[in-house]
Order: sequence, then structure tokens, then C-alpha cells
Amino acid sequence: MESICSSLEPMFPCREAAIETLGELIGDSSEAYPSAIYLFGHSGTGKTALTRAFLKECGKRQKVRTAHLNAIECYTTKIMLEILLDSLAPEQGDSVKVDNMLDFVEQLRRYAAPRAKAQGFLIAVDNAERLRDMDANVLPVLLRLQELTNLNLCVILLSQLPFEKFYNKTGLGEIICLHLAQYNKAETQRILGSDFKQVRNQLLEQFAQDKKRLEICQEAVTEDFYNNYLNLFLSVFYKACRDVPELQLTSSKCLSIYLEPVLDGTVDATDISRLWRHIAGPLRSALTQIYMRIEKSAEETEDFTAIEDQSVRKLAQSLELPYYAKYLLIAAFLASHNAANQDKRLFVKHHGKQRKRMQTVNARAKTTEKMSTTLGPKSFSIDRLLAIFYAILEEKVGLTCNLLSQISTLVHLKLLSFVSGEQNIMDGSARLQCTIGLEFVLQIGKVVGFNVRQYLCDFM
Amino acid sequence: MDPTISVSKGCFVYKNGATRAGKKAAGKRKRPATESSSLLGHEVVQQPFYEEYRNAWNQVNHHIADLQHRSYARTLEQLVDFVVGQAERATPDEVLPTAALLTGINQPDHLSQFTALTQRLHAQRAAMVCVLQSRDCATLKAAVESLVFGLVEDDAEVEQMDDVDEDGAERDRKRLRRSQCTMKQLKSWYSNNFNSERKHRQLVVILPDFECFNASVLQDLILILSAHCGSLPFVLVLGVATAMTAVHGTLPYHVSSKIRLRVFQTQAAPTGLNEVLDKVLLSPKYSFHLSGKTFKFLTHIFLYYDFSIHGFIQGFKYCLMEHFFGGNAFALCTDYSKALGRIKQLSHDDMETIRRLPSFRPYVEQINDCKRIIAVLTDDDYLKKKLPQLLRDCLLHFLLFRCSLEFLTELVGDLPRCPLGKLRRELYVNCLNRAVISTPEYKECQQMLSFLSKDEFVAKVNRSLERTEQFLVDEIAPLELGEACTAVLKPKLEAIRLSVDEVVKATLAIVTATSPTETSKPTDHLTPVASRQELKDQLLQRSKEDKMRQQLNTPTTQFARALQKTLQLIQAQIVQAHLRPLQDAPPIHELFVFSDIATVRRNIIGAPRAALHTALNNPHFYMQCKCCELQDQSLLVGTLPDLSVVYKLHLECGRMINLFDWLQAFRSVVSGGDNEEVAQEQIDPQIQARFTRAVAELQFLGYIKMSKRKTDHATRLTW
Repeated sequence: MESICSSLEPMFPCREAAIETLGELIGDSSEAYPSAIYLFGHSGTGKTALTRAFLKECGKRQKVRTAHLNAIECYTTKIMLEILLDSLAPEQGDSVKVDNMLDFVEQLRRYAAPRAKAQGFLIAVDNAERLRDMDANVLPVLLRLQELTNLNLCVILLSQLPFEKFYNKTGLGEIICLHLAQYNKAETQRILGSDFKQVRNQLLEQFAQDKKRLEICQEAVTEDFYNNYLNLFLSVFYKACRDVPELQLTSSKCLSIYLEPVLDGTVDATDISRLWRHIAGPLRSALTQIYMRIEKSAEETEDFTAIEDQSVRKLAQSLELPYYAKYLLIAAFLASHNAANQDKRLFVKHHGKQRKRMQTVNARAKTTEKMSTTLGPKSFSIDRLLAIFYAILEEKVGLTCNLLSQISTLVHLKLLSFVSGEQNIMDGSARLQCTIGLEFVLQIGKVVGFNVRQYLCDFM
Repeated sequence: MDPTISVSKGCFVYKNGATRAGKKAAGKRKRPATESSSLLGHEVVQQPFYEEYRNAWNQVNHHIADLQHRSYARTLEQLVDFVVGQAERATPDEVLPTAALLTGINQPDHLSQFTALTQRLHAQRAAMVCVLQSRDCATLKAAVESLVFGLVEDDAEVEQMDDVDEDGAERDRKRLRRSQCTMKQLKSWYSNNFNSERKHRQLVVILPDFECFNASVLQDLILILSAHCGSLPFVLVLGVATAMTAVHGTLPYHVSSKIRLRVFQTQAAPTGLNEVLDKVLLSPKYSFHLSGKTFKFLTHIFLYYDFSIHGFIQGFKYCLMEHFFGGNAFALCTDYSKALGRIKQLSHDDMETIRRLPSFRPYVEQINDCKRIIAVLTDDDYLKKKLPQLLRDCLLHFLLFRCSLEFLTELVGDLPRCPLGKLRRELYVNCLNRAVISTPEYKECQQMLSFLSKDEFVAKVNRSLERTEQFLVDEIAPLELGEACTAVLKPKLEAIRLSVDEVVKATLAIVTATSPTETSKPTDHLTPVASRQELKDQLLQRSKEDKMRQQLNTPTTQFARALQKTLQLIQAQIVQAHLRPLQDAPPIHELFVFSDIATVRRNIIGAPRAALHTALNNPHFYMQCKCCELQDQSLLVGTLPDLSVVYKLHLECGRMINLFDWLQAFRSVVSGGDNEEVAQEQIDPQIQARFTRAVAELQFLGYIKMSKRKTDHATRLTW
């Protein structure tokens, strides 16, 4: 057990306590395992990596069979059971066939019976919260699998949720909960700093051709320098993101920018304040792209920024839509954000005089803060959409297949969406909704030369 | 002509190649393609017009395919490099390499791109490819199953490509059951087949319509793929129709942090179309032309409705078919030497077709010899002797037109606000539709050109000249009539060049000789003035003089005069001489230009509502039967089909229709209204049954719906 822990500790800095607890619980296969362990914590806290490494060590050093599976993949119980049996009892041959839980337990017992009692079994299930949505018996059986099979077996459930979210009406058995807390700032820095040697070697390799840079690099990149960099880096990023792999990736991306002035010789490696002034901008822009994982190839750096910086204006202008589709979209927006009883006033030329009554004036005054453009879209029927489309379009267009198919194209592009009645479009009861925002539609209107504001009740 | 050859009125469903069924059929279609044209009888296929049609279409089609292939090539190359490059790259654990291809909104068009990608990858033996359609992925289970199935089957297909002789039975044995397709199966399949180093393959999963996927299914799928990334070399390719925000909007952080995105941009659809138009449809190589209106009509469908290049090409093909179907006379619409050969084959009927062409009449009228007129109108042999010259004139006219268009495009294409249009296609339409010189837009262009500075003007005209000459060398020279065309145009271009040289030499000095009649001599310098008032007066006078001069259209400076002269030269030599509208084109140009826009519109634009209305309102239109002939559209006759009667009655009702009243009306129409006394009695069950059936059919067609609010009432759904 000690050997397992000691081999894992250098790999997972700041997780010594968790490793020790795990070691005490399942470190020794000759002792009785607890029936189930629940390991939870946010993403990027090392649940999966730690468990995987632990199981691997156990499998290597002791007589333990291990299985690690992802619950997302198990869209049927059968798949899960087959994967489990396949890794726990591999001598079964190619055609593992398990139909239900009973079968699984039976086969597992049959497999384990002739073998020595001391054999241990470890099962780890990732994304365990998905188990709740599977067949009703899966979660209870997994928690009591030790009891059912009468084997020295432990199930480790990994999830981001606390175990309280798993309780159901029938109740669940006892489970040992183990929480992996988020790393604090100092810990994060320590973890990021732990791969210093690797980073340094990478850099040296990168500049192996360039003599001058290589020298500077060798001299400048010290542990202190790297830690300073990480300190600056975390001061920007720690507030936004605590996912360690994500931070690792981003920090390695930004390091080359940080290093640039040092390599050019313009800034001294120890002059942190000047380096900070140099890196602050790039770091902030990198902050907006975190989690997006867009990588760029060397030659198209400029294009990349163009794709990145997509304000609504640019998006609306870059969206390639046929002319009438744009008008349909505008019509859909108007239909979504105007009340149907206002249509006549808005779109018919001789709509008559509107009588101003005290009541309506008061009503309108009361609802000014409830602008329909900010309340979100209302649904409309296809007839109304087409009526508004014909009203706002100056030229006369036939109601052809080409035009009607544009509506479904817009639905496909998720610019419109069905609210109800998707099945019965034929009888006209289907209702649609426009999903784009005001800013976007104003831009589209500008492209085709149509003033959208003029036709919105809110702005009248 | 054969009665079986008719263009039927109806809608046809086209396979768009996306379905699996289409794929299988393509596999079977390896048989020699001789049978494929059996839809038309031999008597049609062997006609000269059909031969010419096939030639023309094949040429155009190959040209377009080639062009598109080249324009896709760059993106495709990058994408293939990306996929292949992933093999060498050591991936950090559980990060899925992903390529996002921004395709633009017309997705059926882009399926061909993905097919090309698949072929390329197969050819390089770099990857197994699975195209995953959103309709196959309603649930995660279905998605994974079709993914695994696709990858494994893809392998089978590639293997089959290797050894064609292999029996089909072998393949059937291999086929998997759907429920067996799991990731576990895929893993064992991969380790069995590609474990060794030499057969390393990427597993490429293509999602051509990213937006249509159910978000949760997609997220789970990506999580699964990324979880298996360590053991199976997956590469994901997303076809994104809108923009990258769609990807980031669909995938939450915990999913998007599992992928590594690379963005690829494809050519925008309008640019693609312009390329096709400029390089193929407006190429001088082809003797078939679209008239301005037809051309505009087709581009209009593209730009205003669907952005589908494929649709545009099909529309063009339809025009081509319609044109050649006019008869054997249209077989002359081909290269000059070929057409000469065809003349001999023309029958009397064909000659009559030619005589009936609208542009033939002016030709006859301009002959002033009575005998020759009679000969032209009656003697086929005489006309056949005349034809070569007419054909030559026509072909030459179109070549010259095309060259002049090149000149004009360069000249006015980048003027501010582009009055005549910016692109070649717009200018083509404008020039062909009406006499461009008389349009206000052209005058505006002239004016703007005359406002240009000397350097700009000279550079512009020179550029136009160069472009036209380049065009002559590149495109026209290899053609049959190329030399003749060059011979006509060269001197004109030289004349313009000389005139431009004049402009270069011209100074800004004012020429006074032009205005000897003017009473007050224009003063070059302001005379010293005593007061502000005086200065104002002087300036006012000057501006008046300027205005007068402009009205007289007599430019004052040498430069302006030279410029005017050049512009007039261009107008006379290029625009007036060659960019003539279609009605001024040489005789028998109808053989080369397709302008029957009404037929095309009727046949390629589906208007289901209108067609249904016609069918129900006036069944005679489609059925051509004797019993339903109507004098007036609104007439109601008992002999009409029941459905039609019911439809016509329902048109007279308001929103709600009382079924009983409807039935009574129906009965009175059907039974002819002669038996009044029967009206009180029970309704004939036969009539009631016919009525019920007709109403049900009307409901099936979507015109009415049974009301739930009011008993025995139907709601009208259309207006």
C-alpha cells in the first residue's frame, strides 16, 4: 500500500491526503474493500486521472482486476455490463454476452469461484451521475455488488455532484464519500510549476537551431523566471478558470509571447514590471478565448483574429443568406416581437385612425419597462409570417416552393425554431419563434436597406 | 413527333445523394451507361439536335466540374493535411482533433465537398471515413451505432475497391447487425485490422450538418469520442453552415475543452457562382447563349432564394434542353465548321423553322431584289447557300459582343455606386436587354468618367485595352472565328489607344477658339477688385459662364476635349457597334440565344398552391376531357369531379363551413337541380358517400380541418 501511495504522490502534487485515504481504503487487496466509494469534485481537479493511475498501480502490483468505464457511453445497461465483464473476467473469450443484471452477477461469480479468494476487483465509473438515468436497478446493484457477488469488490463512482443528488425514493446503501476540493491559488501554481523541466527542455529543443536565442534561453529560463510568469498568469486567470488542464494549456500558449522580448534582448529577464506591461494585453485577450480551443496554423494568424473577434455586427454581415431569406428573418422577428393585434396598424397603409383613450394611454405607460423586445420572442403561425413578409417587401413575389423552403432552411440554421405543432405543418397549426436578437436583426436590416425599428411597436 | 415524347407537368423528387439509398444505387450503376438514355427513344437520340445538345451539355458540365474542383482544391488540401497530420502528432490525452469547415448555408451543395474529401482520404489510404447525418442521430444510441457501422462498412467498401472481382456474397457475410455496433466492437475491429504500424489509419467522422444535430446527443457523442481518443485515432470534421458562434453556442465548456478546433473557410456561394458565370457561361467557347432576361431570371433564383449553385446549373441545363428541343434547326447552334456540316442534313421543315424565326423577317425586308426574296422564302437550296454567311455573322457578333463586354466591364466596373453594375454578369444583362447607350445609367457613367483626373482616366482606359487584348489572346485566338474577331477589333482598339495618347499629351490650357461667339471674353485671372461686392459679382459671372459652357457641351480645356473625344470614340466603336441589344442582333440569332423565359419559369419554379388551385378550379386544364370544359372559370357543372365541386363550393364560404349546408349545395349541383321535390326527402346515401369522400380528400390536401369548437363545422385553412 505504501508503495502505491509513494509512487503516485509525485504525479499528483497537492493530492497527498486523498491518495492516502484511497490507499487506506483500497490499497491492499488482501484486506476487505469497502463496498463503494464516491469521489466527487469539480472538473479539472484530477478525479479521473487519479483514479486511473491508482487502479493501474493496483493492477500492476497486486492481484487485482480493474475496470474503468465512462457512463456516458453506456446508453444501454447491456453495454455497461459487457464492458465490465470483459475487463473483470477477460478469459471468457471474444463473445461476451450479458443480458441483464442477474446474468452479470451470475457470470461474475462463476468466473471468480474457482480462483483464489484473495483476488480483488475494482470498478471505476466516470460521470456517475448518468447512472441515475439508467435502469432503476443499476445504481443500487452497483452499490451493493460486493454483497451480491460475495467477492472482494469495490465500486468507485466519480462525479461532479455531491452524493445528496443521488438519493431516490427507495434509498441507497451506505457509501464512503471522498471530496476532492478545488486547488487554491498556491496549489495551482505549484502544480503548473511542476512541469518546469519539461517546458524548459521543450524550449531548448525549439531554439536548437538558433544559437543566440538558445543561449539567452538557457540563461534566462530559470525556475524563478517561470514561477514569476505563472504568478502573473494566475493573477489574470485564476478568477475565471480553475480547471487545471485548461490552465496548463493556456499558460503554455502564452509563455512564448512572454518570452519574446527576453529573447529579443529588449527586456531583461528579471525586470518583471516591464514584462508584465508587455504580457498583460495578450493575457487578457487569451482570457476571452479560454475553453474555446481554437488552434491556429502558422500562416493564417490574421484570419484567426478575424474569426475570433466576432461582434454581432460582423456576424450579421458575414452570415450569407439569400435576399428573401433575410426578409423572411426580419418578418419573423417582427412577428415575434409585435402583438398580433398591432399588425394592421403597422403594415396596412390605410389602417384608419386610432382613437386615443385614457385607458390605452395609461396601459401603455405602465408597460414601458416591459418592452416586448426585451421580454423574449412570442410564437407566430406561418400564415402570419408570410403575411408580414409580403407586407414589408416592396416587390411582388410568388408563393413558390423556393420561398417556402427558405423557412425550413432558417429552421435548420436555428435562426427560427418550432414552438409547437412541428408534426402538423399541413393544417397550419404549427407555431414558430424567432431566435435572433434585436441587434442582429438591425444589422441584417441595414444590409438589405430596411429600417426594422420603424416597424417595432416598442419604438413607436 | 412521337406522342410519347412530352414534357409532363409534375413535380419530381430528386435524390440529393445524401441518403444511403442513393449510395447503394451508385454502387450498382457501374454497369455500362448505354442504357441510361433509354428514357428517350432511339428516334430522338439519333437526331442531330440531340447529339448537339449532348455535346454542349457534356462540355459545359465538365468545364464546371473542373472549375469547382479547382476552387475546392485549396481548402480540401488543407483539410486532408490536417487529418493526415493528426497521425504523427502525439495527442495530449482525451483531446479530440476537430476541423470546423464553414460551408455556407446551402448544405446539399456541400455534400459534394465532403464526398470529395472522402474520396481523397480513401485514395491516400489515410483514413476510414464515416459521414454521419443528423437524421441518423436522433438518439445517442442511434448515433453511435451508425457511426460504428459507417466506419466498419466504409472499410468493406474500400476493400472492395481494391479487388473488384470479389464476390458480393463475401460482403454480405461481413455485414454487421446494427445492435452489435458499439464502441467496444469498433475497438476490437480496429485492433484486429490496423494494429500494425504499416496500416495505420485515422478514423474520420464527418458531421455535414452541424446545426441540425440535437445538442445533447452531439455533446455526448463528442465526450465519447474524446474518451476513446487515446486508443482510437478519431478526427472530427464539422460542417458549420453559419458561423463559429454556433459551435460555441452548442457546446458547453466541459465539452468544448475536450476538442481542439481548427477552422477552415470555404469559398462563399456567390463568389462560386460568379466564377462559374464568368468562366463558363460567359465563355466565348460555347455558341449557346442565354438571353439577358433568362440569365437574370436564373441568377435571381440563386441570389434571392436559395444560394444553390447546383440548382443554378440544373436550371441552365433545363434551358439548354428546351433550346435544342426546338428541332433540328437548332443543331446549327454549334461551332462554325460543325454547323456547316449540319446544314446539308436540314430538311424542309427545319428550313421552315428558320424562316419563321422573328429575326428572319428584317433580313428578308432588307433585301431589295424581288427575285432573291422569293428565292430566300421558297427555295431551300438557295437559303442553304446563304446560311453559312448568316451563321458566320451571328457567331462573330457574339464573339465581338463578348470582347466588348470585357472592355466595358473594366471601364465602368469600379465607378462609384456602379450605375451599370459591378460584375460582368450584371453588365451582360444590361447590355443584352436594351440599348445601353440610351439608358440614364450609361450617361451617368459617361459623366463620371469625364470627371476623372487625367492619370486615373488614362490608366483606366489603358487597363481596359490591355484586358481586352489579353482576352483576345487567351480566349478568342484559339477559336475558329478568333482571327476574324481579332481582325475586326484590333484597329478599333488601336484607334482608342491613339486617342488616349492624345489625352496624355493634352494640357489643361483653355481653348478659346471654341467660343468666338461669346461676347465677353473669359478672363483668366480675377482682376483686382476694390470691394467684397465686386469680387462676389465677378465670381458669380464666372460660374455662370462655366455653366453655359457645360450646357453647350463644349469643354474648355484641351484635356477635356481629348477626353470627350476618347469617350465618344469608345461609345461609337465599342458600345454602339458591338454591345447591341438582342433585338438588334444579326438575323437568325434565335438559333444561338435561348429566351423563352415563360416556359422555364413555369417548369422549374414549383408553385404548388397555384397548380392545385388550377387543377381543382378547372380540371379540364390538366385532364383535357370533354365533360369538364368550362366557359367561365367560376362555373359549377355537375360533371366536374366531386372533389372539384366541393372545392368550388368551399371557396364561397367564410371561415367556418356548415357541413350540412355544404352537402345540400353539393347535392343540388351534382343532381342537376331538376328534382326539387326530392330536396325535402332523405339524401341519397350514394351522394352522401361521395360528398364525405370528397371532403376527406379536401382535408387530406390541407384545405380544411374539422372544427373542434363547433359541431358539424369545418374550418377553412387557406385564403
